[in-house]
Amino acid sequence: MSIDGQSMPGPGAPARETSVPATRRAVIVGGNRIPFARAGGAYAKSSNQDMLTAALDGLIARFGLQDERIGQVAAGAVLKHSRDFNLTREAVLGSALSAETPVYDLQQACATGLEAVVGLANKIKLGQIESGIAGGVDSASDAPVVVSEGLREVILDLNRAKTLPQRLQILSRLRPKDLAPLAPGTSEPRTGLSMGEHQALTTAQWKIAREAQDELALNSHRNLAAAYDSGFFDDLMTPYRGLTRDGNLRADTSMEKLAGLKPVFGRSLGADATMTAGNSTPLTDGAATVLLASDEWADARDLPKLAAVVDAEAAAVDFVHGKDGLLMAPVFAVPRLLARQKLTLADIDYFEIHEAFAATVLSTLAAWEDEEFGRTRLGLEGAFGSIDRSRLNVHGSSLAAGHPFAATGGRIVATLAKMLHAKGNSDGRPARGLVSVCAAGGQGVVAILESL
Amino acid sequence: MTLPQPVVLGEMPSLSKLYVNAAAQAARRRLLGTHESATLPAESHAVRGVRVDVENLTAYQHLIGETASDVLPAGFIHALAFPLAMSVLNRDDFPLPLLGMIHLRNSIEQRSPLVFTDLLDITARVENLRGHRAGTQVDVVAEVGPAGSGMLHWRGVSTYLAKGVFLPGIDKPSAAEAKADFAVPDPTGLWHLGVDTGRAYAAVSGDFNPIHLSVLSAKALGMRRSIAHGMYLASRALADVGPARGDSFAWDVDFEAPVFLPCRVALEISTEQGGSGAWKRSGFVAWNPRSGRRHFKGTVETL
Repeated sequence: MSIDGQSMPGPGAPARETSVPATRRAVIVGGNRIPFARAGGAYAKSSNQDMLTAALDGLIARFGLQDERIGQVAAGAVLKHSRDFNLTREAVLGSALSAETPVYDLQQACATGLEAVVGLANKIKLGQIESGIAGGVDSASDAPVVVSEGLREVILDLNRAKTLPQRLQILSRLRPKDLAPLAPGTSEPRTGLSMGEHQALTTAQWKIAREAQDELALNSHRNLAAAYDSGFFDDLMTPYRGLTRDGNLRADTSMEKLAGLKPVFGRSLGADATMTAGNSTPLTDGAATVLLASDEWADARDLPKLAAVVDAEAAAVDFVHGKDGLLMAPVFAVPRLLARQKLTLADIDYFEIHEAFAATVLSTLAAWEDEEFGRTRLGLEGAFGSIDRSRLNVHGSSLAAGHPFAATGGRIVATLAKMLHAKGNSDGRPARGLVSVCAAGGQGVVAILESL
Repeated sequence: MTLPQPVVLGEMPSLSKLYVNAAAQAARRRLLGTHESATLPAESHAVRGVRVDVENLTAYQHLIGETASDVLPAGFIHALAFPLAMSVLNRDDFPLPLLGMIHLRNSIEQRSPLVFTDLLDITARVENLRGHRAGTQVDVVAEVGPAGSGMLHWRGVSTYLAKGVFLPGIDKPSAAEAKADFAVPDPTGLWHLGVDTGRAYAAVSGDFNPIHLSVLSAKALGMRRSIAHGMYLASRALADVGPARGDSFAWDVDFEAPVFLPCRVALEISTEQGGSGAWKRSGFVAWNPRSGRRHFKGTVETL
């Protein structure tokens, strides 16, 4: 069958025989993050390097990693200054880890943190490293500011000039407007639409109601507040700059308060605008880290083993001319991943679907529940399926915690690993969790974790 | 009928001189009264062996949103041929006033790619003088190919309207065509056009027509504010269609409401696939997101 979507082996199709080399298990030992702060708040003057180092130092202290030579550290930031080309290495050199710890920086927009976990887990599985720290950090407050194209060209040409007259001639090209700096935007380069405007199109396409979005946001705040109250985050977080809880958390918010907010995205569309500051994630500062290891490495140090990284899948959608919504790549990645693992949505105990916007989560679920979408776009015999909503983001997610882009993957993986470990085996099988993170550029990364 | 031999110019004419000359001609015609004839000059103008300035090409590509490849964008070739086209409109025997003419429609066939190292032969002529309910319209045809090859790789037809000019012997269409109501679609893109958009395009295209440069220069020509170049907008839409268009394509655009600067322009690109699932055609339409007025629409289609 030819479909105008992203084909995958359907339930009736024979499973593809792939020769997978013998690998071992990659386990999640634990995680550490700093509380996330609203942009311009407690971390306004802290740099990406400062925050990543703070999160790293907390992880080192928790698991006794002082002077330890870790196999590799992988982390990144989305909003990154060119001088921070070795951001992660600089953070490691400023931490208590052995200075002989190798690192790499990576960047996959909002999926950076999850991709770091997947990459290091794969290295552990292949026996290339025994331990790894995956992380991510972002500062919307301390974002790099760029000079105008005019000024940039003048500076670069000045560097190339050899004589004084040449330099004067180049300088004479400078115009007053060239001196105005440019702040980074959240617009997609190819469309000029902001992420919120893109999501507003998807929200309208899937007819996601305002009330459903507000309800999801309310649950996020309530769940996160309850998790704090129960002490869930006590061994997942170190305070920083006076914050002990995420600055964006509003434990006392209500449907009435959320309903009172004015829509901010999608106001020029034909449909009603439904996306507000309450059901969209705010700009946030923060950092998160996850410690990964082989069984042998963790056992030798008597460290806990919370969960295993089972498998992961990346996807991308052709959003530029609206074939799919910008943030809908996980809609395609999850069915492929579950099919490969011979699992269904019913086999998953916890769903961690990153709340870029409440409507992103709801659009994803709506697409999976849609018969026609399942048939024509996923190549299935019908709808992919629905999930038990009581299993979704049970300790809150980005709407309440905030979303420092590259830090979100580490936050989710550490939270989910702890939840899975607490649930443990039932019905003769380990607890399973699914992580789904959408990213700018129409990308998405999803992963399955399993309790240990 | 054989066309007369083209007038071969030694080099690309200077647009600024053409504009000055056009202004002087307009004043002269006003003083002396126009010699109204309803015939077009039959001679074409040609320049041989035109060289592309690669820095100018790169600046154009970056401004329009094209990757800076070695292939000349179809809109860049239009800009390259534009001074020659203007030199035909600037002839004393061209019956319409050059200044103030409105670009209604543009139709380009990119038959084979041209690269910046190619020397180019360019010809331009006018044809098809005809009526319009608001004046008189004319087609300017430009043709471009590798120098000395006699081959045609690029052909552009620009339709201009001389508003309020009615020539003897040319009938105007009886009634305005009924315009279908424009239902605003969901945008696939949003352009934020600054007040310097016209100046930036003038710098890469060489088209320093005062209506595009500043509020003051536009007001001098009767506009309330400066407006974006039509070909700047159409070229950005072509760039947005992207690499699906391949090496040879037809690119048509109809200009409607002018884009006054600064402003935001909403855009929708729709894609049509052929039987085999391969790209066949992209439609584009742009409008003012505040008023819902359509600015332009067009298609890019496989040749």
